[in-house]
Amino acid sequence: MEIFWFFASFTILGLIGYGFQIIAVRSQISHHNAGKGKALSPSYFPPISVLKPLKGIDDNLFDNLESFCMQDYPEFEIIFSLQDHNDLAYKVARKIKEKYPDKDISIVVERCNDGLNPKVNNLIPACKAAKYGYILVSDSNVLVDGDYLKEIVKHMQDPGVGLVSNMIKGVGGRTSGSIFENLHLNSFVLGSVCFLDRFLKMPCVVGKSMLMRKSDLEAIGGFKAVKDVLAEDYIIGKKMKEAGRRVVLSNYMINTVNKHWGMKNFLNRHTRWGKLRWKIGGIQYVAELITNAVFMSFIPVFLYGPSGITIAFALFTSLLKIMGDLYLGRITKADIKFPFYMLSPVKDIAIGCMWIIPLLSNTVVWRGNRYTIGKASRLSPCAETIRWRYRIADVIRARFA
Amino acid sequence: MLLCDFHIHTTYSDGSVNLRRTVDLFGQAGFDVIAITDHVVNGDNTFGRLAHKFKFSVREHNFEEYMNNIRQEAERAWDKYGLLIIPGVEISKNHLSADKSAHFLLLDIKEFIPACWDYERIFTEAKEQNALVIACHPHHMSDLSRDTLFLWNNRERYARYIDAWEIANRDDVFNVISLKKYPYIANSDFHKVRHIYSWKTLLNCEKKVAAVKQCIRHNKGVAITLFRR
Repeated sequence: MEIFWFFASFTILGLIGYGFQIIAVRSQISHHNAGKGKALSPSYFPPISVLKPLKGIDDNLFDNLESFCMQDYPEFEIIFSLQDHNDLAYKVARKIKEKYPDKDISIVVERCNDGLNPKVNNLIPACKAAKYGYILVSDSNVLVDGDYLKEIVKHMQDPGVGLVSNMIKGVGGRTSGSIFENLHLNSFVLGSVCFLDRFLKMPCVVGKSMLMRKSDLEAIGGFKAVKDVLAEDYIIGKKMKEAGRRVVLSNYMINTVNKHWGMKNFLNRHTRWGKLRWKIGGIQYVAELITNAVFMSFIPVFLYGPSGITIAFALFTSLLKIMGDLYLGRITKADIKFPFYMLSPVKDIAIGCMWIIPLLSNTVVWRGNRYTIGKASRLSPCAETIRWRYRIADVIRARFA
Repeated sequence: MLLCDFHIHTTYSDGSVNLRRTVDLFGQAGFDVIAITDHVVNGDNTFGRLAHKFKFSVREHNFEEYMNNIRQEAERAWDKYGLLIIPGVEISKNHLSADKSAHFLLLDIKEFIPACWDYERIFTEAKEQNALVIACHPHHMSDLSRDTLFLWNNRERYARYIDAWEIANRDDVFNVISLKKYPYIANSDFHKVRHIYSWKTLLNCEKKVAAVKQCIRHNKGVAITLFRR
């Protein structure tokens, strides 16, 4: 019974932590952080270079790219950046450019092997081609509304602000993998980012959207300074802060479209992100397990078998988590349908089971490339290894040959 | 080069994605030309009757609706994505034996053609409608249960009616088509979202129905490509 209370106390701790995350999200949404009380000019619209690194076909790619062409903003350019003409996204970028001949759109195709991070390799030529003093890095799976640029640039009126990132939410889920992904983005990821920003004053930049001055970026070494790290977004935020610039989390919510993800994509991404957090946060990564209330509440059920109290406690915790996720979904206007929130505890258990993987493995596979990940998410090349199941198959074949 | 897929199923037959979402999926991925080709199954045996009963087939009574919806989607796709949509069907003559089964596409079809007609009559009617005839997955496939070998086994008799043969279908490649030097294209046989990642056709021609048909018939400026994530 002592063991049950041990896990129960962690569960309660996790629920309290989750409560704080919800408060942080709520407070972030209602918080008007632009200008920090300074008078804002309604006509502050400096020209912006939007850098879109592309690789492969993301869900909803055409609409995502098109949403940037439909910005209600006086002067901006869009730079689609790819490594080669055979990339599947090249055709989509061409179509967008042809559809909007009056927009300032350029497609930069340049094989850049400066670093190991493929996104940064895409950004280096794009940044070189950027002609304006403000650059916005935006991932290809981001879908925005027409007032996005106007809303985020407000923060840049304060010369002390070095980087503006955004709150993100997952939308468009149609498959189990994408529903899991969106549930996780809209609860754990969104909650953690807001919690770190509001309560711990730690910049936690998610690279889906990063607005910076080109001069500030160059002052911290440019994209080349992060060419060999996996968490380039986090490191850029950290370097900005170290350089004395403020990193602002805008309360403007952007959409990350995840429509047709398989469960493998979900597991692969969160194993990778888990490895990142383990390599960057170290021992703080342990807190993630403890604050996974649903996972903690189910451990006694698996350890000692189902009993009235263990089952009731796990189900009650799951119910609270579902209610919390539903509330977050409501305040962020998420498009996840009500029945899918019932999957939230299953998702948390899956995430809890995956928690251990970063402690055992330091290789990541990202967009087809395999790396070894070191301290502060530094990448080093990793040779392809023969998987154990193929080895076993080879041994069996050799045995019966 | 135009990125094309001429073998796509929707919920009008046994596809799992409805017409609008299918069009969006291909439009979002940057395709230039697609053909919607739901099954028209022969209703003269048990397989066919089951397909009709479970609505896995376009039938005469809903053919008009099917075509109208494709036309509406074609307009939307052209305006939004610059995507050309060609209406079509896949005539599916299903039998217990793979040797007796045949599937072929009729692209740019105008009127309903029942699958229970004999081959010559279907091909002749298709020619009268100026539709393209494409033999689908004509040889052995990795999924043996889907084999349809009739047209290949009787190629001497029917090849003259066939404008092109699928040299690749989803993950399978049929080298016999190149050995025979038949005109070729490659398609996904799209039923599920993941099937978009499969063999495709590249055409070097104008993005117009007539030009696409001519390019396939003459089989010049045709290439195949594996569309991968």
